[in-house]
Amino acid sequence: MKRLSVRNLAAGLSLSAAIALVNCTGVMEDNDLYLALGGHEGIERITENFIMEIAGDDRVIDHFADSNVQRFREKFAEHLCMVVDGPCQYTSDTMIDIHTGMGVTEGDFNAVVEDLMAAMDKAKVPVGTQNRVLARLGNLRGEVIYL
Amino acid sequence: MIIFKFRFFSILIAVAALSSAAEAQDGRIKGTGGVSSMSGAGGGGLIPWATLSTLATAEQYGMAVFATRTNVDDFSLDVTGLSMTFHNRLELSLARQSFTIKANDAKIHQDIAGLKLRLTGDLIFGDMPQLSLGVERHLLRDPATAFAVGANQDNGTDVYLSMAKAWINGPFNRTAMLNINLRHSKANQYGILGYGGDDTDSSTALELAGAIFINRSWVVGAEYREKPDNLSTLKEDTATDFFIAWLPSKRWALTAAYVSLGDIAGASNQTGYYLSLQGTL
Repeated sequence: MKRLSVRNLAAGLSLSAAIALVNCTGVMEDNDLYLALGGHEGIERITENFIMEIAGDDRVIDHFADSNVQRFREKFAEHLCMVVDGPCQYTSDTMIDIHTGMGVTEGDFNAVVEDLMAAMDKAKVPVGTQNRVLARLGNLRGEVIYL
Repeated sequence: MIIFKFRFFSILIAVAALSSAAEAQDGRIKGTGGVSSMSGAGGGGLIPWATLSTLATAEQYGMAVFATRTNVDDFSLDVTGLSMTFHNRLELSLARQSFTIKANDAKIHQDIAGLKLRLTGDLIFGDMPQLSLGVERHLLRDPATAFAVGANQDNGTDVYLSMAKAWINGPFNRTAMLNINLRHSKANQYGILGYGGDDTDSSTALELAGAIFINRSWVVGAEYREKPDNLSTLKEDTATDFFIAWLPSKRWALTAAYVSLGDIAGASNQTGYYLSLQGTL
């Protein structure tokens, strides 16, 4: 009996080690940021708020004058979902392709960051979760400005 | 204190009047301009930071005005000044310091003109920290005390190299910043006791600052400043502060701090408070 429980323990340990290994190698999706944003519904709410913020932002609205709102809604939500490791595949042009020729300045970029902060505030996303999202999106700055 | 209140009031009026006339030049994200340091240069309080004051971007220019009171056991220091930034590249600053020795109500005034150039990098975006080179030109308007304690000169030039980096998603998922300066200086007590002396004449000093945003409007942090020790008769210590800043909008910043300035002119272990208001036009 004693020997059996030791064996069980060893089996248990190797199982947890295996799970940990799977987690580390990313075979099992680590999507806690996606969940912290409220999953699919949360991302839809943030996207909707974001569109409203941009619509009311004189600093950047001109850049969106020719945008198809429905397409932007879809693609932004998809992109955000992908950036936070959600179960989505972003299917559109690269950030560089989209922004080339738009003349997005450092200030425009920051304005949109502020609009996204406001959108997340209104969706009651805590600051810590916002920062995790913003840090990831901030890495894309070079693919957006002065192109 | 009345004069100090008047200065605060003047800032409120000036910012209100000028900001309504000008188009907002505040394209950078709130907090990234820091506040105004005691020399007038954008920074924390005790030391300048690599950040440029105001929130002006590469396409903009901005101006900030401030008033600061530091009150420790035997002395107080009032500073008023302004800084201008051009295209998030160059910062010019002017400050007037009024130092009071409480024992005899004697005043020492000092003027400081500063120039800071952002060499490269960005505080929050990209891998490259923000790197800036600064110069501060100090002129003591009441040099009698400085010469009496053995200073060599009534004016001096400080040069500092400054590096700052912020992490949007820092510790505890909070936005955090670190700043490191290396300053070459001959100043005795920030220049208030003149420049140079019989002991050593100049040195390179280390200055550090760290800050963390509790949320988008509240920041806490600490600073550390080494200083030269040029006068054989008077010991000079390092200075530290622990601050909390409130940034209710892009336009205003109110900073309060506990300061520990060490020995000053023979008076030991000077501690007290620091209070600063900044308005950005």
